[in-house]
Amino acid sequence: MKKSCIAMLLAGGQGSRLYALTAKVAKPNMPFGGKYRIIDFPLSNCANSGIDTVGVLTQYQPLQLNRYVGSGQPWDLDSTDGGVYILPPYQSAGERGSWFSGTANAIYQNMDFIEMYDPDQVLILSGDHVYKMNYAEMLRAHRAAGAGCTISVIQVSMEEAPRFGIMNVGDDGFICEFEEKPARPKSDLASMGIYIFDWKLLRRYLVEDEADPNSQKDFGKNIIPKMLAAGEKLLPYRFSGYWRDVGTITSLWDANMDMLSDAKLNLFDPQWPIRARSPIRPPHYAGAGARIVHSIVTEGCVIEGQVENAVLSSSVTVGAGATVAYSILMPGAVVEPGAVVEYAIVGENSRVSSGAHVGAQPDGSESWGVATVGPDVTVPPGVTVPASAMIYDSSEVQP
Amino acid sequence: MTDVHGIVYAYHSSPGLGELTRGRTNASLPFAGRYRLIDFALSSLSNAGVRDVGVIMQRDYQSLLDHVASGKAWDLSRRRGGMRLLPPFGDNHRGDYSGTAEALNGVIGYVRGIPQEHVVLLPADVLCNVDLAAAIQRHLAGGCGVTAVCTRSVPKGTHYRCTLGENDRVKRLLFRQRGAGPGVAALEIYIIRKDVLLLILDRCAQENRFHFHHDGLADYLAQGGSMDAVLHEGYAARIDNVEDYFSASMDMLQPGPRASLFPTDRPVRTKERSDVSTYYGEDARVENSLVADGCYIEGTVKNCVLFRGVRVAPGAVLENCILMQDTDVGEQAALKYIISDKNVSLSAYVTLMGSEKLPLVIPKNSAL
Repeated sequence: MKKSCIAMLLAGGQGSRLYALTAKVAKPNMPFGGKYRIIDFPLSNCANSGIDTVGVLTQYQPLQLNRYVGSGQPWDLDSTDGGVYILPPYQSAGERGSWFSGTANAIYQNMDFIEMYDPDQVLILSGDHVYKMNYAEMLRAHRAAGAGCTISVIQVSMEEAPRFGIMNVGDDGFICEFEEKPARPKSDLASMGIYIFDWKLLRRYLVEDEADPNSQKDFGKNIIPKMLAAGEKLLPYRFSGYWRDVGTITSLWDANMDMLSDAKLNLFDPQWPIRARSPIRPPHYAGAGARIVHSIVTEGCVIEGQVENAVLSSSVTVGAGATVAYSILMPGAVVEPGAVVEYAIVGENSRVSSGAHVGAQPDGSESWGVATVGPDVTVPPGVTVPASAMIYDSSEVQP
Repeated sequence: MTDVHGIVYAYHSSPGLGELTRGRTNASLPFAGRYRLIDFALSSLSNAGVRDVGVIMQRDYQSLLDHVASGKAWDLSRRRGGMRLLPPFGDNHRGDYSGTAEALNGVIGYVRGIPQEHVVLLPADVLCNVDLAAAIQRHLAGGCGVTAVCTRSVPKGTHYRCTLGENDRVKRLLFRQRGAGPGVAALEIYIIRKDVLLLILDRCAQENRFHFHHDGLADYLAQGGSMDAVLHEGYAARIDNVEDYFSASMDMLQPGPRASLFPTDRPVRTKERSDVSTYYGEDARVENSLVADGCYIEGTVKNCVLFRGVRVAPGAVLENCILMQDTDVGEQAALKYIISDKNVSLSAYVTLMGSEKLPLVIPKNSAL
C-alpha cells in the first residue's frame, strides 16, 4: 500500500536525566499535563495532520509503552491499511541482530517497514517533546521548496542556544551549516528533532552511514552533516508555537506548570485535540473541605485537601488537611491526610503518608530544586523529603 | 463465560422524566458526570464475561445509537457475537411496547436464535453495579429455571417486590410500588434458562399479555416453576422521574453509593470523548461536587454534578445543580437546583432557581 508520507517515532531513549521517573518506563510514556503521556503529543499531531501510518521504535523499557500505544485506537490510528506499529529491535536469519545503536541506525534497521509503504517522504519524530504542530504544513513547505530534507527549527535565546543543535541559514534560505551544541552560536535557530526526508535520499545516506565505522549513527551528528557536506538542499521550517523538551526534572516540572496557563499551550482547542488512552474511572470528586485553585485535575481523583498550582493525573487522592502546591502528582499517587507536597513530582502509585513532607519552597540557594519521588514509593509518616531529593525506592526514606 | 446471553431493554422513556427524555430513552439519560444509564447494564454484562448481548430499542433511539455505536467501549464489538442492536421488526403496528414480555416477543426471532443455554435480562435504566458473574454462578449451581437479582434495601423509584421462602426461593411476586414493603425489591434483572424464557414468552403472546414480571413470571411460579433470588448488597435505583433522577445524582456525592456504583474491580465503561483534564482557575471554589474531565471552572460550585466540558465563568455561583455536557455558565450567574441538558448556554447575570422536589430542567441546546 503506497503512502505519500509515513512517520517514524523514535521512542527508544532512556531519558536518563529523569532518573527515578524513567528507571522502569521509557520517557515517551511519562505522564504529563494531567491525563496525557508525552507520546500523546506526536501521535495526536500525526493523526491531526492526516498521517495515518506511524512506526514507533522502542528499545528501552518498552512494556508499559507498548501497552499504552496498543492498537492506536485512542488516536484514531487503527485504520485497516495503516495505523501505529511498535517496532522493536529484531533478529534476522543468518544475522546476529543488534540493538539500535543510534537514531539513524534505528531507522536503518527498519527500512523494510518503510519500504512496505513506498513513501515519497518520511517524517522522523522523537517522543520527548510537548508541542502541537501541523506536520502537513511542514510537508507542503518541503515539497514546495524541492528540499531533500526539511528540519523544523525554533528560535531560542542566544543564551540557550549552546544547549541545542543550531542551524545557520544561507542567503538562499537553505541551511548552510549545522552545529551541535556550539559554544559560540552563530544563529538562534535550534533544531526541534523533527525531520522530513525524501525517502530515497535518506535511504542512500542511511546505507552509506551504516558502512562508516566512525559514525555514531545519529541524525544530528552524522546524517545531517553528511547531507550538508554533499550539497543536499536542507530547508529550515520555522515553528513559532509552544515547544518544550521534557528531558530533565526541571524542564518536566516547568512544562507541567505551563499547562496551567492556556496562553502557553491550549489543550482545550477542539481544532487540534490531543488524545490519550484514559483509564476507566468516574469523574473526580472534590469534597466538602476541598480547596482547588489554579490546578489541573483528572478523572478518578478524590480531593479532600488543598490543591494549588498543581497538575493531578488520573486517580490521585489528596486527603483532608493535606496540602499540595506547585507539584505534579502522577496517576494513582496518594497524599494522605495532613501530608504536605510542595515543589515536587510524585511518581505513579506512590504514597506520601500522613505528616510526611515532600519538597520545599525555593530558598534562593544554588542547591534548591524540585523534589522527586519515583513511582511505587511510600514515604512513611512524619518523614521529610528535602528539596532536590531523588527517591528511587522506599528503602531510601525510612524514618 | 460463554453459555450466557445478555438482553438489555432500552426502549422505554418514562413520562415522569419529562424534558430529560424528550428525544432519548431512559437508557441514554446522562448520569454521574460522564455516563448514560445503559452503561451500567452493558458494563455489568461485559464485566461478567457475557460476550453476546442484544439491545432492544423501539423509538427515539438516535441518541442511544450514537452512544453505544458498535459496542466497542464495552468490548462488545466482536467478529463473532458481540452486541446486536434490536429495533422492532416491520410488522409491529401496535405502537409502544407495553411491557418487557411484549418487547421480547417483538424480537422473538432473535431470542429463538440465541445459541446459549441461559439468558440474562436487564433493564437499561436500573442504576446498580451488580456482581453479575457471581449471580450467574449461583443460577447455574442452583438449578432453578429463573434467578432474580433482588435487594433488601429500598431502591428509588417504582419497583416490583417479591417474598422469599427458604434458601431465598421466591414465593410470591407483588405488584409494582414505591418505597418499602414486604419481602425484597426485584431489580428486574433475571437470569433465566432459555427454554423457560421461550415458554413464558410463548404463553404471554398467546394470551396477549405484555408484562414479563407480573404476567409471565407470576404465571410461571403459579405453574410450579422454581425461582431463586440473589441479593445485591450495594446501591440500586430505578430512575423514572425528575425528582428521583436528581436525588440519585446527589447520592453520587456520598462516598458509599459512589463506591458501590464505581468499584475498581467492576469498572463502568462509557463512550470516550477524549477531553482534557479539568482546569480550576485562580478564584475557583468547588466543594462536595463530582466533576468530569474537560471542565473549565472559574466560579463557585457547591453540591453539583458537572459533566464533561462544562464551563463556569468567574463570579458564577452554582448550588445543587446538575450540568450536562458542554453547559456554559456566564459570569455572575446564580443557579440553584437546576438540571441543564446538553449544550445549554446560560448567559451572564442569569438567576435561576428550582427546588429539591422540583428541580428546574433546562432543555437541550437552549440558550438563556
